[in-house]
Amino acid sequence: MHKFLILVVEDDPAIRNLMAATLKSHDYRFITAPTGASALMQASTAQPDIVLLDLGLPDVDGIEIIRKIRTWSQMPIIVISARAEDTDKIHALDAGADDYLTKPFSVEELLARLRVTQRRLTFMQTSAPSPIFTNGELRIDYAAGCAWLGEQELHLTPMEYKLLCVMAQNVGKVLTLSFITQKVWGSSTDSDIASLRVFMATLRKKLSAGKEEAQYIQTHIGVGYRMQKL
Amino acid sequence: MKPVIHEHILVCLSSAPSNANTIRAAAKLSQAFGGTMTALYVQTKSSDQMGAEDRRRLQRHTRLAEQFGASVSTVTGDDVAFQIAEFARIAKATKIVLGRSVVPKGRIFAPKPLTEQLVELAPYLDVYIIPDSAGKNQRRRNPATKQRILPSLRDMWITMGILALSTVIGFVFHRLRFTEANTITVYILGVLLTALFTKNYVCSGISSLVGVLLFNFFFTEPRLSFRAYASGYPVTFAIMLFASLLTGTLANRLAVHVKRSTQTAWRTQVLLETTQQLSQAESEMDILEVMADQLLKLLNRPILLQCVNGTTIRRFPEGESPDDFPDTASQRFSFQIGGEPFAQALVYGNALEPLESGILHSILGEGALAIENRRNARQKEEAAVLAKNEQLRADLLRSISHDLRTPLTSISGNAETLLTSGHGMEESDRRNLLTDIYEDAVWLIRLVENLLSITRIGEGQAQLNMTTELVDEVITESVRHIRAKTHTIETDFGGEILLSQMDARLISQVIINLVDNAVKYTPQGSKIRIRARKQGKQILVCVADDGPGIPDERKSRVFEMFYTGNGKIADCRRSMGLGLYLCQAIIHLHGGEITLTDNTPHGCVFSFTLPISEVTINA
Repeated sequence: MHKFLILVVEDDPAIRNLMAATLKSHDYRFITAPTGASALMQASTAQPDIVLLDLGLPDVDGIEIIRKIRTWSQMPIIVISARAEDTDKIHALDAGADDYLTKPFSVEELLARLRVTQRRLTFMQTSAPSPIFTNGELRIDYAAGCAWLGEQELHLTPMEYKLLCVMAQNVGKVLTLSFITQKVWGSSTDSDIASLRVFMATLRKKLSAGKEEAQYIQTHIGVGYRMQKL
Repeated sequence: MKPVIHEHILVCLSSAPSNANTIRAAAKLSQAFGGTMTALYVQTKSSDQMGAEDRRRLQRHTRLAEQFGASVSTVTGDDVAFQIAEFARIAKATKIVLGRSVVPKGRIFAPKPLTEQLVELAPYLDVYIIPDSAGKNQRRRNPATKQRILPSLRDMWITMGILALSTVIGFVFHRLRFTEANTITVYILGVLLTALFTKNYVCSGISSLVGVLLFNFFFTEPRLSFRAYASGYPVTFAIMLFASLLTGTLANRLAVHVKRSTQTAWRTQVLLETTQQLSQAESEMDILEVMADQLLKLLNRPILLQCVNGTTIRRFPEGESPDDFPDTASQRFSFQIGGEPFAQALVYGNALEPLESGILHSILGEGALAIENRRNARQKEEAAVLAKNEQLRADLLRSISHDLRTPLTSISGNAETLLTSGHGMEESDRRNLLTDIYEDAVWLIRLVENLLSITRIGEGQAQLNMTTELVDEVITESVRHIRAKTHTIETDFGGEILLSQMDARLISQVIINLVDNAVKYTPQGSKIRIRARKQGKQILVCVADDGPGIPDERKSRVFEMFYTGNGKIADCRRSMGLGLYLCQAIIHLHGGEITLTDNTPHGCVFSFTLPISEVTINA
């Protein structure tokens, strides 16, 4: 049923089989590439909608592939990495990846990330650039410079509003701490990150407004934040 | 393997022309033994009166020694043999190379040759004597020796006074008609007193001779003439002279001996004190301070200790301020540790007495020894820590390889069963096998995560990825990763914003491990409560459960590596005993503490602290 075409870039046959089997059983269309060179070839010829990219490829560094793809396409890239080091993920995200998964990942997790990315793609394709942003109950009027949660107007400080706009403009994408602080403060020092934590905490409290389940903003420990598309 | 004995060859520098040969011989010796070479120049009072030619020659010899790869040191002191012996002891020299010292034969008061003195002072040293092939080495008259032969004016007065007094007493005895023997005794007593009160043995000699003459002149018939009638008198004079000389010499020796033993006692006391203080010194800096203090005590003049690493220590006598510190040092004494130059002591003011410089060398030697011992001890300690780490690593590896086999066997076995006879099986049986595979795999994933963290914290603080994090975010995210359908997990952050500097991944691991443990060791339906609060300058995080708790005797052991609570484990069959050990290590790295207390009415509470970080908010 899914019309999305997914490119799986993975050198390990067992994992490639696992992903293929999972995608197949959930009716996704997919193509596979075992090396970085073939991945770039496939990406340019088949024009997939989403790329699942393993960072540890035998021929090219995965981050290099992200940079190359980003020169001509904004297709969502989900990085899959066995490296537990946060810095690798942050590098990949800063290079233009949209999301990441750490091996060992569960199949459920993989499918959930795909769904999030799909929703984001649909959202980007259907909504023309508009001065009003909507996500679930959340509504931001960029022109008026104010935000609502349902019928309630949110009383945000200028910093919180700026932060909310940055998150909303990149809905569905994992944003690294330094990306956010660069956008909001124009710098990325330790005290900027501490400030970000504090503003994020207050913004979240205002967004949750009593309802614990509706989490607009997700924390990725050691990496950054993401606004979820509800 | 043959034990390698490191040879350290000491060669003495001088301005004598033959010294060049001595240096060459020493260099050859050093090469043959494959040892190191040090050239030593002993500076004496007479060195200042050295002629220009001698000075140039000395410089040439110094350069020559340097060309042969010797390190050149200079010590100051008049007792050349003592200085050499002391330096050799401190520098741990094994062989000494000397030129043959020329001592004119036939002089009664000639000092022992240098070589003999050295053998006496340092019996453990090999002394090599290089013959003086350059021929006659003209002896320079030492002004110091001249001074020793000519008695001082004060000594002359004392001698004359005592002689006069003896003669007066002799007249009294003569008037009282005492025998001549009494008068002779008085003169001999006079010589004894002269020997005791004067510093020069010449005085007692003169006193003996003059005494005999005076006795002859005043008290023998014919009186007031140097002639003597009685045939026995020449014998009397000879015996009297001999007795006087002997008495004088003996008394002189006694005086010298007494002086020497007082000096030795003082020296021993200062050195003993130094040794005591050095043994109490905590660090190298302390050792240097003790040395400086003792040197100040000994010399009572400004002292400067300069280390190779740039440390300097200054000491001043009481009442002098640092402003009085002279610009130029009068004497430098360098000392080495393990063959490397370590520091030098600069002593300001007049030239040191030989005794003083001797003790100074002893103190420097003691200090160097103390520093070397300290370094050795530290090296040993480091080696012990390294060995302990190695042991820990080995234990870890053994434990892992053993514990990995069980889940791997289960996974591969179950998968094999499914592959070969999967289709004939009941659906529920297949599900059971699959569940086992899944659970074992998840267990392995947790284990690998913990192991990765252990290797990371093993690398130390440098490997930590410290960022400012919101404590409740980290806790919420960590709990999200735990699937505990059978337990309720509650969080409580008290509505305060708690920021802390941490490695979020490691702290998240601590929370996961603590909650995981609580899930494992408590019956189904138990409640786990995570609470974070500000407490002074720290953040206190508590993970509490209402399970059966941990008996007191096990409480102290739960944080040990490989310790497992071998009791009822609810839904996990294995435990490596790594989880809590890792938690403790991580918290300690963050400068916090982790403790275990009882929950009321039952259960246990694991609490850990994190330093709070106060931040300025950029709004």
